[in-house]
Amino acid sequence: MYMAKPMAIELQNASFGYQKGHDVVHDVSFSITEGSITMLIGPNGSGKTTLLKGMVGLLTPTYGTVNIYSGKPKDKRGIIGYVPQRITFDQTFPITVTEFLKSSHRGSDIEITEVLDHLGVVNLAQSLIGTLSGGQLQRVLIARSLLGKPKILFLDEPVSGIDIGGEENFYELMKDIRTRHQVTIVMVSHEVHLVSQVADQVICVNKTMLCSGAPEETLSPEIINSLYGHDVSSYKHNCH
Amino acid sequence: MIDILQLEFMQRAFIAGIVLAPLLAVLGSFATLRKMSFFADGIAHASLFGVALAIVIGITPFYGALGVGIMFGVLIFLLERYGKLASDAVIGIIFTTGLALGITIISLQPGYQPDLISFLFGNILSVTWGNVWIILVLSILILTIIFTLFKQLTLLSLSEELAWTSGLPTTKLNLLFYILLSIAIVLGVKLLGIVLVSALLITPAVTAKLVTHSFHAYIVSSIVCALVAFIGGLIASYYLDLPSGASIVLSASIIFALTLLITKAIGMRTH
Repeated sequence: MYMAKPMAIELQNASFGYQKGHDVVHDVSFSITEGSITMLIGPNGSGKTTLLKGMVGLLTPTYGTVNIYSGKPKDKRGIIGYVPQRITFDQTFPITVTEFLKSSHRGSDIEITEVLDHLGVVNLAQSLIGTLSGGQLQRVLIARSLLGKPKILFLDEPVSGIDIGGEENFYELMKDIRTRHQVTIVMVSHEVHLVSQVADQVICVNKTMLCSGAPEETLSPEIINSLYGHDVSSYKHNCH
Repeated sequence: MIDILQLEFMQRAFIAGIVLAPLLAVLGSFATLRKMSFFADGIAHASLFGVALAIVIGITPFYGALGVGIMFGVLIFLLERYGKLASDAVIGIIFTTGLALGITIISLQPGYQPDLISFLFGNILSVTWGNVWIILVLSILILTIIFTLFKQLTLLSLSEELAWTSGLPTTKLNLLFYILLSIAIVLGVKLLGIVLVSALLITPAVTAKLVTHSFHAYIVSSIVCALVAFIGGLIASYYLDLPSGASIVLSASIIFALTLLITKAIGMRTH
C-alpha cells in the first residue's frame, strides 16, 4: 500500500519582515515533503534569506503561519540544523574547530571525527575557526548541524564561496548527506543552472512566491525571465 | 614576603584577590570576545550612585554599589534588547547618569567622604573580613554557574544566532551573563576602585589571546595572568609604598606589554 510521505514544512500565506509594516516577502504558501531536497531560488535581494530565517524561526511571521512537523519552528529547534551564509564573530576568537563543535553540545569525539571526515575537513579539527576560509567554515557549520542529528537541514547560499566545479561536488555531497543522515534539505541559491540536477522541488521567490514544483516542470523560460529579468540558460558562474 | 602575610589587612587582601582575580579573568575572557569592555567601565562608574545612596541611607556602601550595579546591568540589557539601541550609546548614557547621580548626592553631604575615595581608587585597607566573605561566596557561586554553563556561554559569545538555533534560551543566558558580570565588577571595585577595575577584567584576557591557540588554554592563561598581576602588584605596592589598585593594574599592563613584545619578536602571534 502506498504511504504518502509526511510534510516536514508547511507555510500558509506567510509574510516576513524586519520592521513593522515593511514585509520583505509576503503571502507565501508551500509545503515541503520529508526527505526531499528543496531549493529556494531568486535574484539578489528577493527575500530568500528572509524566508529561510522565517522557516528556521529566527523571524516570526507578520502574517500567516509556519509549521515544522505541525509545530512552531521555535519549538522544533531540536530537529532543525541551520547553516547561515556567514557568521559574524571576532576573528581572533581563540577556539578550535573541535572546541566549537563541542560547544554546541553535540557528538562524541568519534562522531565529530567521522562527520568532519565525511565533509572533507577532518584535517582542520585543531585549526582556529577564525583562520578558516569561507568554504571551510561552511563545511564546519554543516558538520555542527549534522552532529545535532537534525530532521531538517537549512542552508543559506551554501555555494556562494565555491567555484563552479566545486558546486557540483557540493551538491553531490548534499545528496549523500540526505541519504546517509535521512534529512530533509532546504537550500537557498541565487543561481539556477544546477537546480534540476540536485533539487526535487524548487521554489521561486521575488518578494513573493512566483512558482513551486519539480524543477523540470517549473523552471520554464518565462518563469526564469520574470524571476531574473533575463534568460539565464547560458548563465555562467563568474566567481573566482 | 613572610612579613606581608603577617599583616591582617594583607591576609584579607590576598584571600579576596586570589579568588577575585580568576573570577574577573574568566568573565573578562567572555566579555572581551563579546566586545563588552565598555560595559565594565560603565557599570563600575555608575555604581558610584549606589555608593552615594548607601552613604545617605546609612548602609554599607559596598551593598549599595552591588544593588545599583546589578540594576544598571539589567537596565543596559533591557535597553539594548528591547529599545533596539546601540550598546555603546546605552552604556554611555548609563555610565554618565550613574556617575552624575552619585556626584550630586555626595555633594549634598557635608564633610569629607572617605568611602567615596576608597571606591574611586580602591583601598586594600578598607577590605573587611565581612567583605572577604561576600567576595568568597559570590565568586565561588558565579564561577560555578559560569563553568556549569561554559559550553552554552562559549557558543553564545561566538554567535547568538547559532546559539538560538541550537535550542539555547539566548535571552535568559544573556541576561544572566550581564547580571553575573555586573556583580563581579562591583566586587572588583572594592579592591581596585571604580576607575581601574575594568583593567583586571580586560588586560589578562587580551594578553592570553596573544599566546593561546585553543579556548581552554585561553581561559587558563587569562586566569594565570590575572593572578600573577594581582599577587605581583600587591607585593610591589607594599614594598614600593604605592597605591595597591594602581600597582595591580600596572603589573597587568607590564605583563601585556612584555607578552606582546615577545610574541611579536618570535612571530608567535598568528591572528
